[in-house]
Amino acid sequence: MQIFITGYGVISSIGLNSVENFQSLKEMKTGIDNTSDPIFGNYKVGRINYSNEELSSKFNLKTFGSRTAILGMIAAKEAFEGHVLNSDIRTGLISGTSVGGMDLTEKVFAELIENGVVSNAFNHHASGMSSLEIAKELGLENTFINTISTACSSAANAIMQGARLIQNNVLDRVIVGGTDSLTQFTFSGFRSLMIFDEEWCKPFDANRNGLNLGEGAGYIVLESEKSLEISKKEPIAKLTGWNSSSDAYHQTASSPEGYGAVLSMEGALKMAKLAPNQIDYINAHGTSTPNNDLSESVAFKKVFIDNVPVFSSTKSYTGHTLAASGGIEAVFAINSILNGVVYPNLNFTTEIIETKLTPQLKFEEGHEIQNVLSNSFGFGGNNSTIIISSLK
Amino acid sequence: MSIVTSCKLNASSLIINNQLIHTISGDTIDWKRELYNFYSKDYPKFHKMDPLAKMAFLGILGIEKTTDLSVYDDNEVSMIFANKTSSYKSDSNHFENYTKKNLISPSDFVYTLPNILTGELAIYLKWYGENCFYILEKFDLDFYIEQIEIAFSKGKKACLCGWVESSDKSEDLIIFIIENQNNKINKEEIYSYFK
Amino acid sequence: MSELKETLKAQIIEQLNLENLTVADIKDDQPLFGDELGLDSIDALEFIVLLEQNYGLKISNPSEGKDIFHSVNTLAAFIEKNKN
Repeated sequence: MQIFITGYGVISSIGLNSVENFQSLKEMKTGIDNTSDPIFGNYKVGRINYSNEELSSKFNLKTFGSRTAILGMIAAKEAFEGHVLNSDIRTGLISGTSVGGMDLTEKVFAELIENGVVSNAFNHHASGMSSLEIAKELGLENTFINTISTACSSAANAIMQGARLIQNNVLDRVIVGGTDSLTQFTFSGFRSLMIFDEEWCKPFDANRNGLNLGEGAGYIVLESEKSLEISKKEPIAKLTGWNSSSDAYHQTASSPEGYGAVLSMEGALKMAKLAPNQIDYINAHGTSTPNNDLSESVAFKKVFIDNVPVFSSTKSYTGHTLAASGGIEAVFAINSILNGVVYPNLNFTTEIIETKLTPQLKFEEGHEIQNVLSNSFGFGGNNSTIIISSLK
Repeated sequence: MSIVTSCKLNASSLIINNQLIHTISGDTIDWKRELYNFYSKDYPKFHKMDPLAKMAFLGILGIEKTTDLSVYDDNEVSMIFANKTSSYKSDSNHFENYTKKNLISPSDFVYTLPNILTGELAIYLKWYGENCFYILEKFDLDFYIEQIEIAFSKGKKACLCGWVESSDKSEDLIIFIIENQNNKINKEEIYSYFK
Repeated sequence: MSELKETLKAQIIEQLNLENLTVADIKDDQPLFGDELGLDSIDALEFIVLLEQNYGLKISNPSEGKDIFHSVNTLAAFIEKNKN
C-alpha cells in the first residue's frame, strides 16, 4: 500500500512558514543567535522571536494553548490548508513533543510555591494537551489523536505511527509531525549534559563542540489511495520507508559503531526497496555533539560504504528542535524533492579524522532528487529513519 | 500456552507465574534494593537507575528465574510497556533541581523520559528490536492484545509486555512474555491468566 | 590530604550511586573511568556537579574533566590547588 504526502507545514527560527524556511535555507541564513533572555545566558538558541500573544494574533488562532501547542497549531494549519474535513475520510493527528505545556507551567510554578496559587495554566501541562489543542484548532478534536514523546525521535516516530495506522486500515488520512518550544526544563537538562556549544554549532566538523537548542514545529499530511479518491488532493510525494531500531548501548549516548543507526537506515532502505545508491540526499540527525556526529558518520560509511550520498544537517540553521526536528526536517526533505535542491551544512571547515566525510557546503539547485533519507535519533537509544520519495 | 512467563512485583512480594516466590520484608529503606540483593545479581548500573527502570529491571530478573531470554535473537522481541504517570518521579526531581537548587543532576535529567526504561532493558538484554512505552489511564489488557497482534503480524517471535508504575501512591509492576504461535493469540487464555 | 581523599570517596559513592562499593574498594590511584568501576559519561558529568556542590569549583568544559577525574589522587590535587 502506498502512503502519499499531500501537505506540509513548518515554523522555526528561520521562518514562520515553509516558504520563509526555504528562503532562509537558500540564503544560508541561520536562525540561531544570542538572546536577552536570562534563562539562556550566553548560549545561542534558535528562537522564534515572537511572543505567544503575537503568534496567536498573527495566525488568527482560536484556541488558547502553551507555546508548544501554538507552534504546533501554526505548522499543522499550514500542512492541512486546502484539506477538507469529510466523514468518509477517517482523519487523525499524531504529534510528537518532549516538553508539552512546560513553558506555561514554568511561568506559574513560582506562584504556586510562594503563594499557593493553582493556575489554570497547569491544565495545559500534559503533552497530550498540546496535541488536543492543535487538533481543536484544526477541527479535529473528535478524531484519532495521539502524542509521542521519545525525545528527539518523536516526530519521526509520529510519522511512522501514522503510516502504520493507514496501512492497517485504522485511518485514511493523518497529520503527523512534532512540536517543541524552548523551556528551562530542556535547556537546563541539556546544559547539565554539557552538550551545548557556546558558538554556532558545526555539525560533522572535527572541532564541533555541541549543539544549539531550538524551537519549532513541522507536520506533514499522509493519505491513503482511498483517501485521495475522495479528497481529490494531488499528492506531492510518497513516504516509502521507515524504521525504528534500538541501539542498546547507553541511556543518552549513541554507540561508537553506530549500530542502531545502521539498523534503522538499512531497515528503511529495505522497506522502500531501495539500494543505498538510490538515496540522493540525506538530511542527517547531525546534532553537532561529538558523540552523535561521529556515530552517525560511522553508520553512513557502514550503510553506504564509499558512496555516501550528499548529506547535511539543517540543525545548523534551526538549532536542535528536539521532538519537532523529525517533522521540520521531513518538510525540508519534501522541498528538496520538489525543488531539486540540496541544503548546505553551515559552519563546517574540517573533516572528522575517523570518517573523513564532508557534508554539502552550498545550496545547490538542479539536482534530480528521487529519494531523501532523514534520520532522527533520540535518548533511550531510539533510532529512527524515514525515506521520502518523489512521485516519479 | 502462549504466555511463557509472567512476573508481578510490588513493595511486598515477588510473584512469578502466579506463584509467590519471595516476600519482601520491608525492613530496609528501599524494597527494590532488598529484592536486588535477593537475586544476588551483579549489575552495578542498577543502582544508578531511576525507580521506574529499577522496577522493570527487577521484573526482568524475575522472568529470567524461569525463562532463558537468550533463546531470542536480538531483534525478535517487541517491548511494549505502559504506565499511568510516565516518568513523574524523575521529572519532578529535575524540576526541583533547576527551580529550587539551581544545581542540575544530569542523571536525574536523563530519566525524564519513560522510554529510557525500555532503553535500559534493551542494553541489558542486548536486544536491538523495536520498543515502546505508552501512557494509559489504567492497565488495559485489550490495548496490549492489539499491540501484540500488530507485532506478531510483522513477524515478531515474542512480545515482552509490561505495566510499571512508580508514583508517590504506589509502586507496581506486571511483566509478561507472550510467544507468537502462527500469528494468533488466544484472547480468552490471556484474560483468564490475568483474572 | 588523606582525609580529603576519604571524604571524596564517600561523596563519589553517594553522588554516583555506587551502592555496590565501599570507601575501601576505591584505591587512591585507581583509574575511575574504564572497566573496573564501570563509570560512564553521565558519571563524569555528575563529578562536575559534585565538585560544584561540595567544593564550589566550576568546570565548564567536560574535556577539562578528563585529567581531573582520572583518579581520587588527581581529584584531590585539583581541589587542593583550587580551593579558596
